[in-house]
Amino acid sequence: MTTASPPVATSGGKKAQVAVQRFGTFLSGMIMPNIAAFIAWGFITALFIATGWLGWWHPIAPILGGFGNADQTGWAHAMTQLAQAAEGGATFPQYVGLVSPMITYLLPLLIANTGGRMVYGERGGVVAAIATTGVIVGTTIPMFMGAMVMGPLAALLTKWMDRIWDGKIKPGFEMLVNNFSAGILGMILAVIGFFVFGPVMTWLSDGLGAIVSWLTTNGLLPLLSIIVEPGKVLFLNNAINHGVFTPLGTQQALETGRSLLFLVEANPGPGLGILLAFTFFGVGMAKASAPGAIIIQFFGGIHEIYFPYVLMKPILVIAAIAGGMTGVATNAVFGSGLRAPAAPGSIIAVLIQTAGESNFGPGWGYVGVILSVVLAATVTFLVASVFLLRTRRRDLAMEGAGDLSAAIAQTEANKGKSSQALSGLRDRAQADAAAEGTSIGDEVTAAGVAAGAVLTGRRVDSIVFACDAGMGSSAMGASVLRNKIKKAGVEGVTVVNKAIANLDGSADLIITQNQLTDRARAKAPEAIHVSVDNFMNSAKYDEVVDLVREQHQDEH
Amino acid sequence: MAREVLSTGQVRIHSDGASRDQAMKEAADMLEAAGAVTSAYYDAMQQRERTVSTYMGNELAIPHGTNETKDAILDSALAVIRYDGGVDWDGEPVTFVIGIAGKGDEHLEILSQIAILFSDEDEVARLKSAGSPEELFSMLASVNES
Repeated sequence: MTTASPPVATSGGKKAQVAVQRFGTFLSGMIMPNIAAFIAWGFITALFIATGWLGWWHPIAPILGGFGNADQTGWAHAMTQLAQAAEGGATFPQYVGLVSPMITYLLPLLIANTGGRMVYGERGGVVAAIATTGVIVGTTIPMFMGAMVMGPLAALLTKWMDRIWDGKIKPGFEMLVNNFSAGILGMILAVIGFFVFGPVMTWLSDGLGAIVSWLTTNGLLPLLSIIVEPGKVLFLNNAINHGVFTPLGTQQALETGRSLLFLVEANPGPGLGILLAFTFFGVGMAKASAPGAIIIQFFGGIHEIYFPYVLMKPILVIAAIAGGMTGVATNAVFGSGLRAPAAPGSIIAVLIQTAGESNFGPGWGYVGVILSVVLAATVTFLVASVFLLRTRRRDLAMEGAGDLSAAIAQTEANKGKSSQALSGLRDRAQADAAAEGTSIGDEVTAAGVAAGAVLTGRRVDSIVFACDAGMGSSAMGASVLRNKIKKAGVEGVTVVNKAIANLDGSADLIITQNQLTDRARAKAPEAIHVSVDNFMNSAKYDEVVDLVREQHQDEH
Repeated sequence: MAREVLSTGQVRIHSDGASRDQAMKEAADMLEAAGAVTSAYYDAMQQRERTVSTYMGNELAIPHGTNETKDAILDSALAVIRYDGGVDWDGEPVTFVIGIAGKGDEHLEILSQIAILFSDEDEVARLKSAGSPEELFSMLASVNES
C-alpha cells in the first residue's frame, strides 16, 4: 500500500453530486433502520382505517383505526379523544387508535433517535428524541422532516456541549453532570423546536400553496411535479397533499365536480415505478424488499415506504418527477380527476374517488385516471431503470461481487446481532469491491444499502485504536496504521489510541483486539468496529486504508 | 525524551529461551531497577495478560499493566529483551519482549517507532541479527531520527 492514488479530476458538478449522494445516504440512513416500524404502521393503516381493507370490520377497525365512537362500541379500555361528528357537530369520544399515534409520534421519534445516534451515539439519540417531541407537538402535520432536521442537530449540539466540560468534571460527578446537562439541553431544544418549527412549517406550506396556485392559474400543471416529488421523498407528502392540494382541489371539485389536483401527490404511479425498478434492477436488500414494499405502497397507499429507496439514490427523484409530470399531463389532456381526495393514495382509493366525467364525455374519466397511473408508473420505471442499470455493475461489486454482503446482512439479521467474524467478512468484501470501483459517492451509498444501515456507509474521518489501558498495544497499532495511511497519501484522517473506558461517540471506526471488540462495541455502538488478532501485521489494516482512501480521494 | 525512556542498560539479549512468566518477571524487574515501577507491577502485568494477551504479532509481545494498576507506575520506561531461544506466549512464538511502563504520553513516541519497525518483517529480521545489546539499542533508538 505504498502507491498513492492517482489524483482524480474533480469538477464542481461531480463534487455536488457526491455531496447530494452523501446527504441522501445520511437521510436514508436515518430511515432504513426503522423500516420495520414503517411497515407495521403501513399495514395497520391499510387494514384498519375507515377506507382500509378491513375497514368494514366493526368494532375492531374503528377501535384500531381510530375513528370509532367509544360510546357506541362498548370497548371502554382504550384511549379516546373528543371529536366532532361530521353531521350535527356534536362531540363524541373517539378512539385514538394506532394509526395516528404511530405516524405522529413513533415514526418521527425513531427517526430522530437514529439520526441522533448516527451523530453522537446513544446520548445524542436521547437528546434528539426529547427535542423532536417539541417539534412534533409544535406543528400540525407528521414531523418526519422536523425529525430529520432536529434529530442530528440536537445530537450535534450535545456533542458541542460535552466538549465544553470534557475532562473537567470531578470524578464521581460524571453521571450527574452528563444526565442533567443532556436533560436540560433537551428541554431547551424541545421548547425552541416547539415555537420555531410551527411557523416554519406553516410558512413552507403557504409558500408551496402559493407556487401551486400560480402554476395552476397559468396552466403549467405538469411543472408541479418538480416541486412535489422531491418534497414527497423528504416526507412532506402529507403537508403538500393535505395542506395544499386538498383545499385547492376541493374548491375546484365544488365548481366542476372533479379535480386533477387530488392526483398530483396521491398518484401511486411514480412510487410503483421506483419500486418496480428496484425489484428488477436493484441489488441486495433494496431489491429483496422492493416487491413487499409495492403491496404496501400501491395497494395500501402508504407512499412513505418508497421514499428511502429514492433517498438511497437521490438521482432517482428525476425518474419520479418524469413520471409525476406524465401523470399530471395525462389527466390534463383527458380532463379527468377525482371527486374528492384519495386518502391514502392507494390505487383502490383512487379508483373509488375517480370522477366518470371528462373532456371526452362520461366514462372517459376512468380511462384518463387509470392511464395517468399506468403511464406515470411506466415512465418512472423506465427512467429509474436506466439510472439503476448505469451503476448496477458497481453496486453489485460493492455488494461483494455477488450477494455476499446481502447474505451476511441476512445472516446477521437472523442471528439478531452482528458477529465480529461476519462484519470482518463484510468489511473485506466491501474493501475488495471498493478497490475496483470508481465513484465513491455510489459506493458509499451502496455500502449503506448493503449493510441495511448507515454503518458501513459512514464516512471515516477519525479512527481510534482501543485497548484496555491505552498504554501499549493500541498506541502501537495506531502508529502502524497511521504510517500506512500516510504512505497511501490519504489526508484528513486522524488515528489515535484510547483506553476502551474513554471511548465516546466521536470515533467513526474503532479497531480492537478481537477479545475486546464486544466491550468496545458496547461503549461506542455507532462506530464501525474492526477486530484484529495481530496488531503488527494485520491484513485488516490494508482494508481500512483502502476504505479511507476511497472515501477521501476526491478531496485533494 | 525518548532516550531517557529507553537506555542501553534496558536492552538485553539472551541466547536461550524462557517461559512467558519468566520473561514478564525479567521485564518487570528491569523496569523496577530503572525506578519506573513498583514491585506490584509484575502482578499488574499478569492481570493484564489474563484479560488479553499482549502478543502483538511478528514475534513481539509488550507486557504492561492495566488501566486500574496505573498506581504502580512511577515513571515512563521501556525494557527490551530478545530471547533467541524463543518464548511461548500463550501459544504464539515470541522473540522480542518489550516491557512497558507508561506514565503520561512520553513513552508513546518511541513506542510508535518501535511499532512501525516491527510491522515490517524485514526490519524484524534485522533486529534479530543484531549482535549485541548496544547494536540492538541503536537500531531501536535510531528510528527516532528517520
